[in-house]
Formats: sequence, structure tokens, C-alpha cells
Amino acid sequence: METALPLAIFVVIALIAFLLLSAKKFVDYSRWSKHSRFDLYPIPKEGAEKNKYGGSYYEENEWWEKGRYTSVATEVTDLAPEMFFIRKLFLHQRALWYASFLFHFGIYFLFGWSIMLLVGGLWYPHPEWVSVIIGIVGYIGFILATVGCVGLLIRRIFSASARINMTPVEYFNLFFILAVLVTGIVSWLGFADPITIAHEILTMSLVNVPVIVVVHLIMLGILLIYIPMSRMAHYAGKYFAFHKVMWDNDPNTAGSKVEQDVIEMNSRKPKDHWSAPHIQA
Amino acid sequence: MSAAQKHWKAKDIAKDVAVLSPPDDLAPLPEPYASNGLEPDYKAKKPEWAERYCASLDGFVALDTLERPENEEAKKEFVERFLVGLEKLFSEVNANTVQPLMLTTDFCAKCNTCSDACHIYLSSNGDELLRPSYRTDVLRRMYKKYFTPSGRFLGGLVGADVDVTWESIARLGELAYRCNLCRRCAQVCPLGLDNGLVAKEIRKLFSQELGVAPTPVHDKGTMLQLKVGSTTGLTKPAFLDNLEFIEEDIYERTGRKIKFPIDKKGADVLVMHNAGEFIAWPDNPAAFAILLDEAGVDWTLSSDMMGYDSVNYGIWYDDVQARKVALGQFKVAKELGVRRIVVGECGHAHKAIAIAADRMTTAEDRVPVESFIPVMADLVRKGRLKFDPSKNNFPVTFHDPCNIVRQMGIVMPEREILKACAPQFREMTPHGVHNFCCGGGSGIALMNSYNFSDYRNKVTARKKFSQIINAFGEDFTNPDVVKYVCAPCSNCKGTIRDILKFYSATSTYNVQYGGLVELMVNGLASMEKPYLEFLQD
Repeated sequence: METALPLAIFVVIALIAFLLLSAKKFVDYSRWSKHSRFDLYPIPKEGAEKNKYGGSYYEENEWWEKGRYTSVATEVTDLAPEMFFIRKLFLHQRALWYASFLFHFGIYFLFGWSIMLLVGGLWYPHPEWVSVIIGIVGYIGFILATVGCVGLLIRRIFSASARINMTPVEYFNLFFILAVLVTGIVSWLGFADPITIAHEILTMSLVNVPVIVVVHLIMLGILLIYIPMSRMAHYAGKYFAFHKVMWDNDPNTAGSKVEQDVIEMNSRKPKDHWSAPHIQA
Repeated sequence: MSAAQKHWKAKDIAKDVAVLSPPDDLAPLPEPYASNGLEPDYKAKKPEWAERYCASLDGFVALDTLERPENEEAKKEFVERFLVGLEKLFSEVNANTVQPLMLTTDFCAKCNTCSDACHIYLSSNGDELLRPSYRTDVLRRMYKKYFTPSGRFLGGLVGADVDVTWESIARLGELAYRCNLCRRCAQVCPLGLDNGLVAKEIRKLFSQELGVAPTPVHDKGTMLQLKVGSTTGLTKPAFLDNLEFIEEDIYERTGRKIKFPIDKKGADVLVMHNAGEFIAWPDNPAAFAILLDEAGVDWTLSSDMMGYDSVNYGIWYDDVQARKVALGQFKVAKELGVRRIVVGECGHAHKAIAIAADRMTTAEDRVPVESFIPVMADLVRKGRLKFDPSKNNFPVTFHDPCNIVRQMGIVMPEREILKACAPQFREMTPHGVHNFCCGGGSGIALMNSYNFSDYRNKVTARKKFSQIINAFGEDFTNPDVVKYVCAPCSNCKGTIRDILKFYSATSTYNVQYGGLVELMVNGLASMEKPYLEFLQD
């Protein structure tokens, strides 16, 4: 029996690194969350009625006397189609949406599949139906993500307007993901059972791993570490762009949390300063 | 060159050509302008402009204070200063904007969804240089090249491939003024990123670090306002004289003796107008006075140096200037002891004092701010302003000022007013928060140096002109039908005035323009004669 303990350790480290580096990304961006206002309407938390046409509390005469109404429900119902179905792309650039949606939806399935593998790997052995469900989610995820990834690559290669502003690393990213997906498909269809491998990784008893699975797991691990450090970490950025920038329209009223933030903002003492003559004067 | 061939890469910004991408293949205008021959050509360009300034982007000059350095040493120094400013843009000194800036530069997936939302890109027939994300891409690559390990070590592989030279920097600065900061691009971005904001940040770098900004927005803009009280140069004595003249005019035209309340301590409302209205469109502050007088509102104007001009050009290019102006305006309101500031027909003044300045200081140093639109809608709703809609029985379309609508969410009250006083009101397509900018936003309405007004009239305002033509449909070509483009914003109104003149739309097709309050006064049941000049005998 040939042990693959270093590989198991590497996969676990990669998973932890993914989580920690993603968390760091959130922390890094949240450091800058106290800033000026950049309202852009429609803003869903203004409530369902106003959200339909993009209205705000500024439509009310003497708005500050009326009390602030916000709706978390509208925010959630507005955000869900954006998060899961990339609604803005669907509405404004359908041609790209097909590939992008398949790719992202596939990734969501694979993310769910990964969590299921963790559960299935720990709850081992488990009833057959658990394996069946995990298998179905995995199949759907791999198929959608691979088709979407190929679609995105085709666009980046053949669309002139896409091609001109892409950098080599942006092609590399998609090829890298495709390679991970393809090696994953080959591994799990022909060479190993993903739940068994997950179990062996979690119990640090990984043995006799086929070469293709080794290649897949190493590439997957590198990808997990790489994603939070690359542009692919836009899952973190999207939260801030929507919630902390476009939709952050809370007014600075007396005694509000915003007012406390303003006091803190105004007490900042940056080490540097701008140099233009009119600022120095 | 056909726009279809204008596939510019980010690094092309440094390309060694006399003019990178002239706007010579514009989107066609709708009929009758597709065939009536009324669209003027660009004025001839003079070689000395290019010798003195950066005209190498598209042949136009916005940055009329950025002169070509005399020698290589000066060029090198300029590049170094730019890089210092570029680093500051992403640092604590820019904390008020770093988050949205970094999000946009870090995460743009280059899907180009923003392109088709941009009226300038569409008007250029798809010139990639005017793609909203193009200037972001250039800025990102410049930053990456000098300030990130991946850029330093991997260079072009990660996109750190733009040469930072005087020419590329100057072109980037010019490019920041080929954007109206309308933020329509951000509205459609699947990641919520804001290329309009990046254009403003580039302008900021130029102004706050390099001391470079167009004369109309800086020297004759914020600097003049902070010195004499108004970007128009209107001093307090001239302002007071002007009010007297307007009072006389109101009396002559309406028979109403209305005295502008000035510096009335403890008034309910301090009305702040764009001072350009007092000079270019005195009918507008006069209409405000008529409406507020008729409704019995307790209001005042301020004659304080920082109180009679609501504008704040700082929000387009310079946070420091914006802050100075806004805090000065709040101080005036506090000292007068008014309960609220009501902003008149100026879109960017709305955004400046209500949104941009909202987090500059605490409630202790401010008074509540609101738009004139909900105030007027409320007066209409309560019956304090009564209309006879038959007085406005002509086609009216409405231009939504981006700052009031998309960036403040005031959409329905103006429509409520229009429905009450303008029976032939029809919407533009698209409208509301999805409107297209007039083409004059962010200072472009004011910039007329050299040939820049041509650029505005033919490129940035092209989409708006198309919308106006389409909104009036068959009525457009009938000169016997007077048509009114209602634009409750000074800069939008100025831009629309210019395009109607440029395309001879008023003289040929009887297309008029004006604000919302003028239309309201014209429709007042109590008015004996038409208020709008083009309806007078």
C-alpha cells in the first residue's frame, strides 16, 4: 500500500488556505467600508414599490421627518436572481450570459458537492442514497461548469472585443480551471470514487491514489490557493460593490451609525497628502 | 477610420501616432437628421492646438491647462509626479473612495456589458477607446506595472504592459473627460463596478496631485466660486442687482409684485439656485419666486458669498474643492437658521450637497437638504398650486437629470407634476433611472475650449438628441407644433440649448426647451398670460 499522506495534507491545507485567504479578502475590503456615498438607483432596500422604478426616500417632502423605511425582504428577493442567475448579464448581455451562467451555476453545484463530500467523507460508510445524491450533484456541477468554461474560452478567443482587453493570465485562468474540471471528470468517472478519496483525505489515510487523481488534486489545491489572490475572487468584491457602495444610501442623521462613522472618518490622519498647489495653499 | 476597426488595446494609449482615434464614424441620427443635412461638421482643427496641448487622443482638447513640457527633463518629472499621485489614489489619503475604486480595478471581468450602456460609446458607433472600462484598464495596468509584485515580475503576462509616458498620461487625462460620470455603466455591471467613478478618480489625480483641470471647472469654477461667490463671477452686489431686475421683469410679465426674500433669518426654506440661472435663464428663479409666493412658502435666498450659488464643481474632479464648497454652503444655512435647504434646478448641486456632502460632517454642522421636486409635488398635491393644463397643451418631453434621478432616486414626483400640468407629456425612451445623460454632465456642458463644444454637440449629446427626436415622433418635423424639452437642471438645460441650436432644431422644427418650474408657472390657473416666452405674442 502506497501512502499519499503528503497529498492529503496538501489538499487540507489548500482548503484551509482558500477559506483564510477569502476571509482576508473580505477583511481587506471591509477596512475601507467607511467612505463617501455613491448611491445608484434602483436600491432594493427602499422597498418593493420604489425598487420597481428606482425611487428613494428623497422623493418624500421633508424626508428626514418621515422616518426611514428599509426592506430586507426586497433586498433579498432582488439579490437572489443576481447571485444565482446573474440577472444583469441576462438582461444586458444575453450572448455572454449563457456561458457565464452555466459556468457559475456549475461552480455553485461543485461548491455544494464539495461540502457534501466533506459530510459524506466523515459520515462513512453511509447509506447508498447519500452516495447517489452526491454523485448527481457532482455530475451536474462538472457538466455545467465545463460547458460554461469552454463557452467562455471560445468567447475570449474568438470575440474581437473580448480579445483586445484580455491579458494572458486571464486565458490562463480559464484554461487552468478547465484543466481541473477535465482531470476531475476523468478521475471520478474512471479511476476513483470521490467520496472514498474524501474520506481518506479527512482521515489522513489516503493510499494508492491513481496518477490522474494525484494530478487533479494537486491542480485543484493550487487553484484553491490561487483563486482568492486573483481576479476570480470577485465573489468577495460583488458583496462590497452592491451592499457597501451602490446600495449604501443610509443618510447621516444625528445619532446614527453613519454619523459615528463620519466622526471616525474625519479623525483619520493619513500620513500622506495631495500635492497640487491649490491644496497646499 | 470605421469604428469597427477601432479595436484599441490598453497599451495603444501610448501609441506613437498624431491622433489615436478621431470620432469620424458616428452613429446615425434618426430622421429627419439622417437625411436633412442639418448636422454641422466639426470645426477645422488648428495644428498649434496639438503643439501646445494633448490633442493626440481624438483631436480634441479638454485639459486646456496641460501644456506639453518643453524638454525631456520636464516630461520625466511629470511622469514621476503622476506615479506618486497614482499610488496615493489607492492609499489612505484617498480613503473616502478607495473601496469602490479598488473593487473596479481589481475585479472587472471585462465582459463589456458597460459598453452598450454608455451613450458616448454608442454615439461613437462602438469606438473601443470610449468603452467605459477602457480607461479603467489603462489605469489598472499602469498601477500594476509600478506598484504590484505581479506586475513588476510578470509584466505583460498579467497586463502590466502600458507604457507610462507624458503622452499616455495626458491621453488618459483627456479620456477622463470623455465621460459624463453619469454612471449608467455601473447600473448594468453584473459585478456592480463603477467605471464612471474611475473616470472621476483619474480627474482627481490630475487635479489634486498634478494641479491640472479644465479651466471652466477649476480656475473659473471652484476657485472662482471660493473667491467671489460664484462660478459665473457673479458678485454679491451684482447678484442683488440681478434680483431687482428679475423682480421688475416678473411685474412686467405677470403683474405680480414679488420681492425676493433675502437673508431672512429663521426662514423655513433656503432656496439655493445655480447662479447661472440668474444670468442665463432668469425666468427660472423668477418662476420659483412666483410658485413659492403663490403657495405661501416661508423661504429665503442667501446673499452670503457661499449662499447664492448652489453649484459644486468639485464633485466632478476634486474632493478637496468639493469639501470646501459644501462646508461653506452648510455654514451659510446654519448661520441663517433655516430649517432646510431646498436645491433648485441644478442636478449636480443636488448630488453635491445631498449625497456627496452628506458624510463630510455631522448633523451639528448641517441642515437637512432636499430637492425642489418633492417640495413642489407636495404643493401640487395639497392644492396650493393649481393648474389649468390647457395652458400647456403642447407636446412636452422630460429629460431626467442623472444626478437627481439615477443618483438620488427622485423619479415619480416630477412625473406627478407633469401629469398635472402638461396634458401632452410623453416619456423619452429609456427614461427614469435608466435615462441617458444629456451629454453635458460632469462639467462637459461648460467646456468650450478650442473645439471641445463640437465634441459635446456631436458625440456626447448625440444620444440625447436622438431621444428628443424620437420622443416627439411625428410632431417633431411639424414647425407649427411647439415642442418643449423639459430639463430641470442647469447643465442639462445648457447642453440641450446648445444641441437645439447646433442642429437648428429650434429654428427649423420649433423645438423649445426650459425647466420644470417655468412650465409649472405657465400652467398655473392664476396666470393671466403665457409665461413661456415662445408662447407670448
